[in-house]
Amino acid sequence: MPTTESKQAPCPPRRARFARGLKLGLPILLGYMPVGAAFGIVARDLGFTPLQAVTCSATALAGAGQFIGLALMKSGATALTVLAATSVVNLRYVLFGAAMSPQVSRVPLGGQAILAFTLTDETFAVNIDDNRRGSADAFSMAGVGAVAWVGWVSGTALGALTAGLIGDPSAWGVQFAMPAMFSALLVAQAEDRRHVVIGAVAAALAILLMLTLPADWYVLATPVIAATLAAVVYR
Amino acid sequence: MSATYIWTVVIGMAVANFAIRFPPIAVLSRVALPDWLRRWLSFIPVSVMATLVIGAVARPDGVWLPPAHNPYLLASLATGVIYWRSRSFVGATIAGVLLFVALRAAVG
Repeated sequence: MPTTESKQAPCPPRRARFARGLKLGLPILLGYMPVGAAFGIVARDLGFTPLQAVTCSATALAGAGQFIGLALMKSGATALTVLAATSVVNLRYVLFGAAMSPQVSRVPLGGQAILAFTLTDETFAVNIDDNRRGSADAFSMAGVGAVAWVGWVSGTALGALTAGLIGDPSAWGVQFAMPAMFSALLVAQAEDRRHVVIGAVAAALAILLMLTLPADWYVLATPVIAATLAAVVYR
Repeated sequence: MSATYIWTVVIGMAVANFAIRFPPIAVLSRVALPDWLRRWLSFIPVSVMATLVIGAVARPDGVWLPPAHNPYLLASLATGVIYWRSRSFVGATIAGVLLFVALRAAVG
C-alpha cells in the first residue's frame, strides 16, 4: 500500500531487504544445485543414506570441505583425520569472518551466528561486492545465505535420492559450476587498479605455493601473503 | 562403512565448521580494528578469489594440465570476460558451464 513514507524510503523494510538478498543469491543457487547433487551422488555411492547426505549438507554447508571429507572416508581415514583435514581447508573462513566483521558490527549475536553459518566462498563474495556498492545489510546477507543453503541442500537431496538414475553428472559439466562462479566473482572483486594488481599477484603466488607447499596449504597462505604485500605497498 | 562412523563425521563436520566461522565474526566485530588491519582485510576478498580460481583451474582434480589443453582455464577466462561485459552472475555461470562442456570436447 503506497504511503508518504515510501517517497524517499532511506531504509526499505526488512522483508524487502531479505528479498533483495534472495535475488542477489540466485546465481549461487544455480551453481550449488548441480554441485550439491554431485555430492549427494558420491555420498550415496560411498554408503551414506539419503538422510545422512542431506543432514551433512544442511548442517555443514562446506562445499569443498565435504568433498574432501568423502575422499578421505573412502580411503579409510579415521573420523578425526577427516575432521582435521576439512577444518584446515576451511581455515580461510577465519579470514572471511574477519573481513566481514566491520560490516556486521551492529548485528546482534544471534544474527551474526546465522550469517556465520551461511558463510561460504560465494555468499562472502556476493555480500562483499554488494557492500562495496553500499547496499548490503544483515537482512540482505541473510537472504543471500538462505538461497545458498536452499540450493546446496535441495541439490544434495536431488542427487542422493536419484543416485544411479541420472548417470554421471560430470557429463553435464557440473564440475565447472564452482570454478565458473569463482571466475565471475574474481572479476567482480577487481574493480580498481589496486585490486586488479593484487588479484594478479595472488594468482601467480598461488601457483608458486601450490608447487611448493604440501596439500592445500596454499589456500590459506596465498591470501595472507598477498594481502600483506598489498597493505605494505598501498599505504 | 558403519552408520556410527558416518554420523560421527557428519556431526563433527557441522560443529567444526561453525566453530571456525563464528568466533572471528563475533569477536572482531566487537573490537575497534586498527587502520592497518582494516586495510589488510580489504585486500583479502580479491586475494582469496584469485587463489580459489587458480586452484580450481590450474590443477583440477589434483592434476596439472597444459594451458592450451586445459578446458578449465580457457572456460574460466571466457567466464571472467562474460561477467565483465554482462555483470550477470547467472548468465556468466551458465555460459561458463556450457563453454566448458564445448571446450572439453574440443581441446580436453
